[in-house]
Amino acid sequence: MNRTARRLPRRTLAWQVALYGLLILLALVYVYPFLVQLATSLKTEADAAADPVSLVPNPLTWAAYGRLFLRSDFPVWFANSAVVTVLVTTGRVFFDSLAGYALARLRFRGRGVVYAALVAVMAVPTVVLLIPKFLVINQLGIYDSYAGMVLPLLVDAAGVFIMKNFFESIPASVEEQARIDGAGTFRIFWSVVLPMARPALVTIVILSFQGSWNELSHFIVAAQSPELTTLTKGVASLASGQLSQGSQYPIKLAAAAIMTIPVAVVFFVFQRRIMNTSEGAVKE
Amino acid sequence: MTRPSSRKLVGAGALLVAGALALTACGGSGFDEPAEEEAGGLTSSDDALSVLIGSSGDAETDAVTDAVAAWSEESGVTAEVQVASDLPQQLSQGFAAGTPADLFYLAPEAIAGYADNGSLQPYGDLLANKDDFYPSLVENFTVDGTFYCAPKDFSTLGLVINTQLWADAGLTDADIPTTWDELATVAKTLTTDDQVGLSFGAEYQRVGAFMAQAGGGLVVDGEPVADSEGSVEGLDYVQTHLKDGTFAYSSDLGAGWGGEALGKELAAMVVEGNWITGAMSADFPDVEYTVAQLPAGPAGQGTLQFTNCWGMAADSPNQEAALDLVEYLTSTEQQLAFSEAFGPMPSIQSAAADWMSANPDLGAFLDGAAYAQFPPNWAGAADVITDLNAQLESLETGNPQEILETAQSNLEAIAE
Amino acid sequence: MSVLASPRDAMPRRAGSPRGIRHGEALAGWLFTLPVLLILGVFLLVPVLMALWVSFSDWSGRGSPLSSGVGFVGLDNYAAVTTGGGLAERDFGIAMRNNAWYVLLVVPLQTGLALFLAVLVNRAVLRGRGVFRTAFYFPSVTSSVAITVLWLFLFSTSGVVNAILARVGIAGPNWFNDPSGVLHNLLGALGVRSGPEALTQHGFLGVSWWDWLAGPSVAMSAFVVMAIFTTSGTFMLLFIAGLQNIGPDIDEAAMMDGANAWQRFWRITLPQLRPTLFTVLTLGLIGCWQVFDQIYTGTQGGPGKTTLTPAYLSYRSAFLSQDWGQGAAIAFILFVIIVLLTILQRWILRERPDVRRRPRRGPRKLTGGNGPGVVEAGAGGPAGGPASEPSAKEDAR
Repeated sequence: MNRTARRLPRRTLAWQVALYGLLILLALVYVYPFLVQLATSLKTEADAAADPVSLVPNPLTWAAYGRLFLRSDFPVWFANSAVVTVLVTTGRVFFDSLAGYALARLRFRGRGVVYAALVAVMAVPTVVLLIPKFLVINQLGIYDSYAGMVLPLLVDAAGVFIMKNFFESIPASVEEQARIDGAGTFRIFWSVVLPMARPALVTIVILSFQGSWNELSHFIVAAQSPELTTLTKGVASLASGQLSQGSQYPIKLAAAAIMTIPVAVVFFVFQRRIMNTSEGAVKE
Repeated sequence: MTRPSSRKLVGAGALLVAGALALTACGGSGFDEPAEEEAGGLTSSDDALSVLIGSSGDAETDAVTDAVAAWSEESGVTAEVQVASDLPQQLSQGFAAGTPADLFYLAPEAIAGYADNGSLQPYGDLLANKDDFYPSLVENFTVDGTFYCAPKDFSTLGLVINTQLWADAGLTDADIPTTWDELATVAKTLTTDDQVGLSFGAEYQRVGAFMAQAGGGLVVDGEPVADSEGSVEGLDYVQTHLKDGTFAYSSDLGAGWGGEALGKELAAMVVEGNWITGAMSADFPDVEYTVAQLPAGPAGQGTLQFTNCWGMAADSPNQEAALDLVEYLTSTEQQLAFSEAFGPMPSIQSAAADWMSANPDLGAFLDGAAYAQFPPNWAGAADVITDLNAQLESLETGNPQEILETAQSNLEAIAE
Repeated sequence: MSVLASPRDAMPRRAGSPRGIRHGEALAGWLFTLPVLLILGVFLLVPVLMALWVSFSDWSGRGSPLSSGVGFVGLDNYAAVTTGGGLAERDFGIAMRNNAWYVLLVVPLQTGLALFLAVLVNRAVLRGRGVFRTAFYFPSVTSSVAITVLWLFLFSTSGVVNAILARVGIAGPNWFNDPSGVLHNLLGALGVRSGPEALTQHGFLGVSWWDWLAGPSVAMSAFVVMAIFTTSGTFMLLFIAGLQNIGPDIDEAAMMDGANAWQRFWRITLPQLRPTLFTVLTLGLIGCWQVFDQIYTGTQGGPGKTTLTPAYLSYRSAFLSQDWGQGAAIAFILFVIIVLLTILQRWILRERPDVRRRPRRGPRKLTGGNGPGVVEAGAGGPAGGPASEPSAKEDAR
């Protein structure tokens, strides 16, 4: 870095200033909508309509949040989303790594077929599955239940690939030692290999958490009861005015803001992992 | 990856077999056989009833829940009210799953589709209070000569006027328009920089009233008349005043619907139905308004009526109890209670006098029942109306004749 | 158990025979992959087959589609939406028109913007690059439903966007209520208000050529902006990973040769980014043909059907209009379109023999890549193209 900096000719200083200016402007464009969302959720409806641009609520009111939490199904939606997300994330972490390990390390007849099948599965666009998924869930008798909402999401082919790639990258000698010590396959997987796979597991956690928390179409076709409505479905129905007439932007934006928080928390907790995709490589 | 292809086939076959096994193993559970039919064609059992409604808000939910609870108490049959977040979708998933609600709100445009695939249990002729319903409402829920379900209530469109803005413009009760020309005149008087004279949603469900007033409509007496002279004249009238700025679609004013335009004083008058009363008192309690009948067009008075019925599922195991509940919910007493809670008018004629005395200011809505048209209830009519609405949104720059010709050909295509 | 040692396994073992281990390994292999196979088989493969059947049947949405009362109708459902001449065909045509414009705008713009951001952020001398990356990536992690709700507010008649436009003296359009096509509006500004006979009298899928050329509606444009806003961050990360894989040496050599930054980018950086570019374009293309969430949440196809997309139309036909066969048929047509476009794009971007290519630094990427970059390795690498599920979903926003 320093080497490059020293080499910079003086006239590029102007370029540097322009670059930072541009980046700051772009960053503002990307961040401002979320600030508006937060600010508007604390405004009165009249204020939101009169001065949408301002980031200072005047007057500041928590009415939208009060309405959401005290006089709507919002808490139920939130709880459902949380339950589903936790189950799906746990399931994916376990099953994806299990299958990924088998594909990377275990020699068995049909491995090629399994692998090919997974590749094929990844090519199927999810929206195409909207109608068929409903038919099968329905046929299996798990329509309108947690089982119907969670089971189909419990594994994902992409996650299996991520784990497979990771397991292939770690040296086999570790397992050999354990095998010599007489450990069984599952034992080796569970207590030797899996603990080493933490970075990849974190990736799966992030992707599954984000994926299932933000999932909408699957929940539309998998359940109908109000008790099983998730945040995405609930807020979507708020947005399209199915629950109330009129704009009511503060309430809708409050709902959207709360919905964003858990993902944002996960995002900031694991931010270094997400962001430094291969930053380390450069510094090495 | 370079394995012989036969192995791939075996692998795929194994998957298929596994899937098929899973399906047959559990296949039965998703599709319950209907309970045994009793005499009279209705099922009977001890099962609890579920009632699925699409609610306009807390008031409606509470009113229906209370009424159903009261009936449960009386009859000893357990019944539960569910509020749908997306009624059409939940209905169709329920039918496909074989586990629909026993009773549900059903719109006229949806009835033919469900009647065709056998999802609905027709019970209209079994109703004790059958002859008390307004005939036009009964016609709304009659498919191929079968009266399917009891209208739960109805609404008509009226002219809703912001009295403050009306007085500010120097207008009096004597100025309330009764003809198209008078409407155009007052709309012009009421139009300022901040507000338009008249506003309504960009949809057949509002604009259609003008088509009716000119003697047109979509379907009249079972015949598609979308491109008739009257229909075109109605749209021409609306288009003229959208162009001169005295009328405006509520969406163009930044309002979600007419009531919001009225409440936010973006429009001095709106074309809306009974439902506006509840919304105004909830969202805009300070805005004073009055309701008049829509003015007459060249062919006389015209409005549209809207209604839902209490649909009954063919797969319901306890239709007899459901029928009893419907009779209870459509009784004079209950309908007046509903009306008070969330606005619509009773669907039975014997409740009219009571309703009028309870709602003297809203009489214009009930008067409309005498001459109201209703949207076609043919299978596929909903899609035709959606398509028409899509074109009505650009009516200001569009060609009314062409718009209606498209609607006409679409209607003829579904007119069997 | 056999005590024969296979020649392969010279390593001494304390317990179990080699054959036993091999056998155990095979069993474990199947056991380990069984949950994944079972779930994907039951909830992916079986559904696809079942829907394929529905698309050839007259199932009307009551009871099981596999029951005896359901008849085979051949290609009727496919015919209804492609050549039927009725409303179904026109709706499908309109949806295809809308989505085609959406793809045409979103894919190049999101790719270009993502690459631009990546190049900016990847500069070695940049301070605070973490902050910038975070800012650009954040919209990508939030839910499409939440973003749509936000967008409805930002682009409402008296919303933020119009308020800002008003400050610079522009009267903004009525975004989500404006069905007019952008290209038609441009032509209208030039005085062309109706198309030539040749275009208005003939058409495809029930939509006249003139209407095909309407461009995205103003409402759809707002969704286009939203898609670019929410996906550019993800793709930026992929490009950053790609850029860092290239390494500085060639670039430095070119610098010695006197090539300026612009030339270096086009001649050296971009050709080496081809694999990443392919991944980004494929993911973008697949995602953009699956627009559903934002339509379901925001406009339900309106205004004037100009935000109707094939994915939403498929849902609407089945779940709301009881035309399950047609809905399934639309889904499969969409499927075929996506597959064909992916293949076509692959062919266009194929490796030409004369292109210089550095060997990929696979191992480093795999061990160091713990973020979405790994998804790229997973999807673009061994799979050789098809998108991974989560990423494809991400840009479906």
